[in-house]
Amino acid sequence: MPDGSLLVQMLIGALLGLSVYLPLAAGQLSLATPGFMTVGGYVAALLSTRVAALGGAEPLYPLPWLLLELVLAAVIALALALVVGLPVLRLRGIYLAIATIALNEILRVLLLNSSWTGGAVGIFAIPQPFGDPLGYLAALLLLLLLAGAACQVLAGHPLGRAMAAVRDDELAASCSGVDSFRVKLLAFGASAVLAALTGVLAAHFFNTWNARQGSFDASITTLAFVVFGGSRLWLGPVLGGLVLTALPELLRPVGDLRLVVFGAVILLGPLLFPQGVVTPALLQRLPLPAGWRRRLLP
Amino acid sequence: MTAAPPLLQVQGLSVRYGSVLALDGLDLEVHAGELVALLGSNGAGKSTTLRAISRLVPASAGGLFWGGRPLLPLRTEQTVKLGISHCPEGRRVLARQTVAVNLELGAWLRHDRAGVNDDLERCYSLFPRLAERRRQLAGNLSGGEQQMLAIARSLMARPTLLLLDEPSLGLAPRLVEEVMGTLADLHRNGQTLLLVEQNAEAALAIADRGLVLEAGRVVLRGSAAELRQNSGLRASYLGG
Ligand SMILES: Nc1ncnc2c1ncn2[C@@H]1O[C@H](COP(=O)(O)OP(=O)(O)OP(=O)(O)O)[C@@H](O)[C@H]1O
Ligand SMILES: [Mg+2]
Repeated sequence: MPDGSLLVQMLIGALLGLSVYLPLAAGQLSLATPGFMTVGGYVAALLSTRVAALGGAEPLYPLPWLLLELVLAAVIALALALVVGLPVLRLRGIYLAIATIALNEILRVLLLNSSWTGGAVGIFAIPQPFGDPLGYLAALLLLLLLAGAACQVLAGHPLGRAMAAVRDDELAASCSGVDSFRVKLLAFGASAVLAALTGVLAAHFFNTWNARQGSFDASITTLAFVVFGGSRLWLGPVLGGLVLTALPELLRPVGDLRLVVFGAVILLGPLLFPQGVVTPALLQRLPLPAGWRRRLLP
Repeated sequence: MTAAPPLLQVQGLSVRYGSVLALDGLDLEVHAGELVALLGSNGAGKSTTLRAISRLVPASAGGLFWGGRPLLPLRTEQTVKLGISHCPEGRRVLARQTVAVNLELGAWLRHDRAGVNDDLERCYSLFPRLAERRRQLAGNLSGGEQQMLAIARSLMARPTLLLLDEPSLGLAPRLVEEVMGTLADLHRNGQTLLLVEQNAEAALAIADRGLVLEAGRVVLRGSAAELRQNSGLRASYLGG
C-alpha cells in the first residue's frame, strides 16, 4: 500500500508530466521542466527561510505566504520562459530543446555557486505549511485538477486546435493564419508556470531544496513520463508521471532488480506503445460512456 | 488594362536559397477578379513565387505590394489577415485531424461564426465528397480528396486572393477536370486566383492570363488564348 508521501511524489510526477506535455502539444520539446521546478522551489525555500516576517518560525507556515510564493514563482518562471522563448521560438525545429538544456545548465551553475542560495548543499529546514502529507496531497491534487481541467478545455478550444496544427504541420498552420510563434510561446509559458508552481509545493514537502533537482537526469525522467504515457492526450503524461514515479518504489521488494525492471519499462514502453499508452485509439476501444469519450477526444 | 490599381503587385522579386537563385527579378500583377496561371516545369520557381508572396521565404531583392501596401515586412499569418490565402504544394492537410477540424483551421482568423458556418456548407457543396467524409481523419482520404480538402481549407479564410500550388498534381485526369471545373466556378463568382500549374493545358483552359517561368525568369506572358496558340509553349508543355 503506497503511503501518503509516495502519493505526493506521484502527483508531483503527474504535474511535471503535464508541464512537458504542454509545449509538446504545440510541437516543441522543452527539457526545462526540472529547471523551472527548481526555480519555483528556490522561490519558496528562500522566501520561507530568509524572510523572517513571513512566519517561517511558526509551527505551521501561513498559507497566505504560500500563495504569495506561488504567485511570485509563476511570475519569475514566466519571465524566464519569455527570455528563452522569444529568441528561439520564431525558428522552426529543435532550437527550444537546445536552448532549454542550456537554461538548465546555467541555472544549475548559478545556483550551485551562489552562497545566497546555499551553494551545493542548498537550503534546509524549509517550513511546513501542512502538518502531514495529507495537506500536500490536497494541494497538489487541486493543482493537478486545475491543470487537467485547463488541458481538457484546451483540447476542444480553437487555441488547442491551433497548437495541434502547429505540432502536425507548422507551415500549414501559418498558411491558415495561425501565429505559430505566439502559440508556441503560450504553451512554453504555461509549461514553465506549471513546473514552478509544482516546485513551490515540492520544496516545502521535501523540506530541503538544492540545484540537483534540475539535473539532466531529471529532464530525461520527466520526458519519459510523456514518452510512456503518450503525448496526444493530456491524460497520457498524467498517467506516465503517476506510474513511473510509483514504479521504483513499488518495486523495492525485488531489490536491485528494480532498476532493471524500471529500465525495461522505459525501454520497452515506446517499442510496445510507440504513441505512448494513452492514445485516441485506446479511448475508442475502452468501454467508456459515449459522452466521456467525446469529451476526452479532441 | 484596367485603370484600378492591381490587387497584388510583384516588382523585380528575387529569392535565393543559399547559392541558388530560385527567382530572378519577377514582375507580376494580379487584378481583382482575375485568374492568372503561373506555368513552368520542375524547379522553375513557381512555388517559390507563392512562398515569397505569403512570406514563407525571404526575398533577396524587389518589392511586393498588396493594394499599394508593402507585403515584405509582414509575417505569413499577417498576409492571411489581409486576404491572401496560400494553398501550399503537396496538400499539407492535418492527417490526424478530421475533415471538419481541418476546415475549421482554415477559418482560424475569423470570428463571424454564422459566416464560417455558411462557408463550411459552401465548401461541402463545392466538394460533396468532403461532406460525406466530414468526420473522417484527413489522413484516410484519397489523394484527390485531400487536394479538395486543402483547397476548401484555404477558401475557409474567405480570401481576396487565393494562391494555389499545383492542385492537379497526382490526380487522375477525370479528377483534374473536376478540380479545374470548381476553380472555374469560383472564378466566375468573382474569386481572384493565382494558379501555379505544370499542367499548362488544364490551367490555360480556365485562366484569363498566364506567365511561363523558366529558371526563375518569365520567358513568356500573355492572355490564355495567346498562350494556348503559342508554338513554343505547345512544344514544351502542351504535348505538341
Ligand atoms: N528550401 C530550398 N532550399 C534550397 N533550394 C531550394 C529550396 N526550395 C526550392 N529550391 C530550389 O529553388 C528552385 C525553384 O524551386 P521551386 O520549388 O520554386 O520550383 P517549382 O517551380 O515549384 O517546381 P515544381 O514544379 O517541381 O514544384 C529549384 O531549383 C529548387 O531546387
Ligand atoms: Mg512547386
